[in-house]
Amino acid sequence: MHLAYPAVLAALLFSVGVYGVLARRNAVLVLMSVELMLNAVNLNLVAFDVWLRDSLHAGQALTLFTITVAAAEIGLGLAIVLLLFRARGTADIDRATALGDPAEALATEEAPAGAEALKGQATA
Amino acid sequence: MNAVLIALLVLPLLGAALTLAPVFGPDRATADRRALRLNTVVTGAVLLLAVALAAGFDHDEPARMQATTDVSWIPALHVRLHLGVDGISLPLVVLTALLTFLCALYSEKRLPNGDTVPSAQAFVGLFLLLEVGMLATFAVLDLLLFFLAFEIVLIPMYFLIARWGSGAKVPAANRFILYTLLGSAVMLLGFLLIGSKAGTFDMQALATAHGSGLSHTTQVIAALAILVGLAVKAPAWPLHSWLPDAHTAAPTVGSVLLAGVLLKMGTYGLVRVLLPVVPDGTTTLAPYLGAFAAVGIVYGSLACLALARPGSKGDLKRLIAYSSVGHMGFVLLGIASLTPVGVNGALFANIAHGLITGLLFFVVGALKDRYGTADLDTLAGATGAALYGRAPRLGALLAFAAVASLGLPGLAGFWGELLAMFGAFDPAQGLSRPAFVTYMVLAGLGTLLTAAYLLIVVKRVCMGDPEQPAPVAEVADLRRYEAVSWTPLAALTLLAGLWPALLLSLSNPAVKHLLGGG
Amino acid sequence: MNLALPVLVPALPVLGAAATLAVGRKAPGLARPLAIVPVAVSAVLALVVALQLGTGRTLDAATRLTPTGGPDIALALHLDGFASLISVLVGLVATCVQVYSTAYLKKDPRYPSYAALVSLFTAAMFLVVYSGDLIVLLVGWEVMGLCSYFLIGHHWETADARSASLKAFLVTKLGDVPFLFGIFLLAADAGSFRIPDVLAAAGEGRLGHPTLIALLLLAGVAGKSAQFPLHTWLPDAMAGPTPVSALIHAATMVAAGIYLVARLLPVFLLSGAALVVLAVMAAVTMIGSALCALAQDDLKRVLAYSTVGQLGYMAGALASGDREASVFHLVSHGAFKALLFLAAGVVIHAAHTNSISVMSRIPGLRKRVPDAYWTMGIALVALAGLPPFSGFFSKEAVLTAAEHAANGEALTNGLGPASAVPQAAGWIVLISAALTALLTGAYATRLFLVAFHSPTGAAAAPRVLPAADPATAAADHEAGAPYSPEPDEADPATAEPPAMRWPLWVLAVPTMGFGIAGLRSDWLPALLDGGPLRPSGVTAVTGTGLALVGVLAAYGAWRSATARLGTGGPAPAAEVVVADPGRTLLGPLFGPARHGFGVDRLYDALFVRPVAAAARLVRFLDREVVETYVRGSGAGADLLGRAVRLAQTGNAQTYLSALLAAVVLLAVLVAV
Repeated sequence: MHLAYPAVLAALLFSVGVYGVLARRNAVLVLMSVELMLNAVNLNLVAFDVWLRDSLHAGQALTLFTITVAAAEIGLGLAIVLLLFRARGTADIDRATALGDPAEALATEEAPAGAEALKGQATA
Repeated sequence: MNAVLIALLVLPLLGAALTLAPVFGPDRATADRRALRLNTVVTGAVLLLAVALAAGFDHDEPARMQATTDVSWIPALHVRLHLGVDGISLPLVVLTALLTFLCALYSEKRLPNGDTVPSAQAFVGLFLLLEVGMLATFAVLDLLLFFLAFEIVLIPMYFLIARWGSGAKVPAANRFILYTLLGSAVMLLGFLLIGSKAGTFDMQALATAHGSGLSHTTQVIAALAILVGLAVKAPAWPLHSWLPDAHTAAPTVGSVLLAGVLLKMGTYGLVRVLLPVVPDGTTTLAPYLGAFAAVGIVYGSLACLALARPGSKGDLKRLIAYSSVGHMGFVLLGIASLTPVGVNGALFANIAHGLITGLLFFVVGALKDRYGTADLDTLAGATGAALYGRAPRLGALLAFAAVASLGLPGLAGFWGELLAMFGAFDPAQGLSRPAFVTYMVLAGLGTLLTAAYLLIVVKRVCMGDPEQPAPVAEVADLRRYEAVSWTPLAALTLLAGLWPALLLSLSNPAVKHLLGGG
Repeated sequence: MNLALPVLVPALPVLGAAATLAVGRKAPGLARPLAIVPVAVSAVLALVVALQLGTGRTLDAATRLTPTGGPDIALALHLDGFASLISVLVGLVATCVQVYSTAYLKKDPRYPSYAALVSLFTAAMFLVVYSGDLIVLLVGWEVMGLCSYFLIGHHWETADARSASLKAFLVTKLGDVPFLFGIFLLAADAGSFRIPDVLAAAGEGRLGHPTLIALLLLAGVAGKSAQFPLHTWLPDAMAGPTPVSALIHAATMVAAGIYLVARLLPVFLLSGAALVVLAVMAAVTMIGSALCALAQDDLKRVLAYSTVGQLGYMAGALASGDREASVFHLVSHGAFKALLFLAAGVVIHAAHTNSISVMSRIPGLRKRVPDAYWTMGIALVALAGLPPFSGFFSKEAVLTAAEHAANGEALTNGLGPASAVPQAAGWIVLISAALTALLTGAYATRLFLVAFHSPTGAAAAPRVLPAADPATAAADHEAGAPYSPEPDEADPATAEPPAMRWPLWVLAVPTMGFGIAGLRSDWLPALLDGGPLRPSGVTAVTGTGLALVGVLAAYGAWRSATARLGTGGPAPAAEVVVADPGRTLLGPLFGPARHGFGVDRLYDALFVRPVAAAARLVRFLDREVVETYVRGSGAGADLLGRAVRLAQTGNAQTYLSALLAAVVLLAVLVAV
């Protein structure tokens, strides 16, 4: 089999994954998209391993490793999503901006500390 | 000999470490007293070591590095622990040791205390750390170590201003540290550029190479970066605006050390690093440095005149800070001339300014203690504070310091200004003579303006009608501890003025060596 | 010759000053001997040095003071006839002043510091006179300026003294800055700061810009020797105690400038233009100051303006290329001007006022201070230049020098060719000197007559005692004119203590006799350059005649004014309560002359206000411009931080999109 087939398939899968991560709102779907991307990588690893005839089969070994890590990661990720849903009643990733820097907070803080520290006493 | 120099640096460091240990006694008063005593003892020992160093110095060969230590420190970065003193750094080391000792002596009696300030232990620790940094700046011969020492000084000084200061102390301290850190960062870039291009950070090796192996562009860029960094510290106009705030807010000993030593670190760096290491770059930049220096002289003097005018709410400490801008302008002008005469003058003016301005800040600090304010209008009232009559010795000392500061021949201030101007009159080859003669004329104008504002200060503070109502009824005359800690400065001012060879015969061969003449 | 002697001459007063300052407060009894003895010993040593050196010899010795990287600065001694002559004068006057001061400032608690400063002042002048190195000379030169600053400000309680001291220092410093540059130029061309080297360079024509050098040096000389336009500090300096005025005016400060030009005359002779400038300066100074002197009411200010004028004579002689005549006049003027001031001090002491119009109403003033009256008379005759007193001979020497220069045969005495002096310089000096001789006679007569001989004194005395009538005194006295009350210094009962009387008579001897020294060529001239100093026929007759005319005119005007006042005639304004011949003689010029022709206002407009404006500008710049960029950098960092904050939305997908975009961008960049 020509290398082009798995490579194109992997690229398509990866692109679908990227689209899902960037565009889907539901956190579960975002996680699934991440899985798609990981599997695209796995596919590439296996395909190239065969194509390069690697005597150590490092690509296949790494694929197994990635599958394991992905399983752990999806477990953790789903747990977080579950907690998020329990806390907020939604799994919508657009709403989860607690770590952001909302505009109203900017207005209320209005930088007294930082700017004042630089302003010395008026000279002369 | 090299053991003396190492001990000079290690001793205050140990003292500073000791202040962290809980060995000073049960209650705060005892602990404070013991800590301050420790301060005096340690700085006194350091002064003795410095004097020993000067005594053991081979005065026949001031151009040679003496008391050297040279061991590898961080091999991966080519950084070496390289220490030594020559005729340029020796006077500064002694001056630093002397001023810190006098400040320690003074602060034993006159530490600003109260509920808001931290304990004296903290003060002593910071003070000794400051001394380490200052001494190390003048003793190290490696660019990165120089930078390190340069930076060590900032932290204790920041806390001295921010914790023990008065008025708008925190903003002033912030401004001080941000401004100088910014300058040092630029300076570090210059050092790194030199180090990467020349393959070594060793100042002596670089000075011996005298710029060979560095392309002209490299030299100009490195010289510009280092110049900017050091000019902030010096301070050169227009990078001076941290100085008046810092001085106004700093406690007396902080002001004395700031003016007496910290400013010298900038000009010392110029002489030690810029002149020998990147001579071509320096020659390119010297006319601009000279121009900024000349403007700084006139600008500083005019700013002082504006502050000294009646009704302008001028603060005396602020005024002396601006006068430092003018005086350091002479130093920079001397350096910019790139002649042995000018650089000798600059180094002399460095020391002289340390002595005289140290004395001035002591006296003004004492006035501020007595009157509770250093505001000239409040002090002087309608006719003048009549210090000659109310506290004759204090008044006489202020007049002496003012007269020395205005560059009276026969006192220390004169020779530096004279030689700096003479250097500018006949600058090194490759520099524009008309430009430098113009700078010299501006500097001459500056001496006139300097005389004007200092005498106006004397007129408004020392003279006046003793009958007029004063803000404070009784002004205590010179106290004993004040006399003890100030007299050495006055005596040295007179000595250096009458016998300038004391310093010039040390610096002259070293300067000629650095400039590549011998 | 033993070098220790000339070294001790300046050193002793310095040590005396230090000792006086150190022990003065604790042991007031020691202050007086410590003030007098070192100065007196120095005076004797100066005389011994002069005698040992003899005539026609010079002594040069030097030791290196310090290296500079360029020309060394040397502690050099240069002794010749000029130096020994002037050092003897300095010693004599300083000793007289110290002795006199013990009585004059008897009750002054600040006497120790005063005496120390006078000693230091004397030492500085000795240093200037003896120094063979220009920088060391400059040290003495400026230390003198500083001492004068402190001494003029001795009465720092009064506003006049405060501002006068400041003015004196700053105006002389204004001249000293160009002076320093002149020294730089000299040293750069000659390769040395030593005076003999400089003169050798001048002789060999190695000086590149003699005119520039000479003009720069002249600025300093004008400042120190109170020549137009830097003369304004001197009249104001009268706010100091009177003995200080004697010291400043007679032998020290103002003499330094003339002495320096005499020392460096070969340099000046290289530039005709500089000599003409010097001549014009001297001429304006002479005539202007004589007019001012004729209009002053303050006794000390009259004398101050007369000093300015006499210094103009000396400068005129120098402009004519004859330093011998100049130094001759310097010495004789030193003697009689010191005498005048010390006598004036006695009179002021007794009269409690500086104002001559108030003095004129004090009955029997001349009987209370007979010694001062007589010695002042002698000194005034010398000042007017009437034979046979010293002023006549020295002034004649100046006139002769000017006459020779005007004829193109200047008496340079071998320092340069006679043609080096432009004839114009000679003419300018000659004409102005003749005119000034006339005016000098007039103001000397006016001073003497108004102060001591006013008939109104006898008539008006019973009802207008000046102390009891401050209104009249205030009306007579200029508003704004410096006036030192010297409240602690007068005791009319003992108007002339011996310590004040003896110095008068000691100084009266040279005032009367010194002129004869110039008569024979193997006396004074042999000590100096060797040229003749004898009065020559035409100028002697003209000069004396003009002086006599001045005296008679003043006398006549005084008579008529007295008569008018006596008849209660047309006294135009209320303040004219005394017969002042100056008012009649000067006519419309009287007002301007009284205010020094407004030179002070000129200074105010030219220097003080621009500097004040520049200071305001700098204050503005510092607060608004420099501060703006400092704050701007803080505000800039702040704005940058806010901009970065805006990107922090909290939406993970946005972050990832940005990340992806950046990765693609980098990949494209790397690939291409």
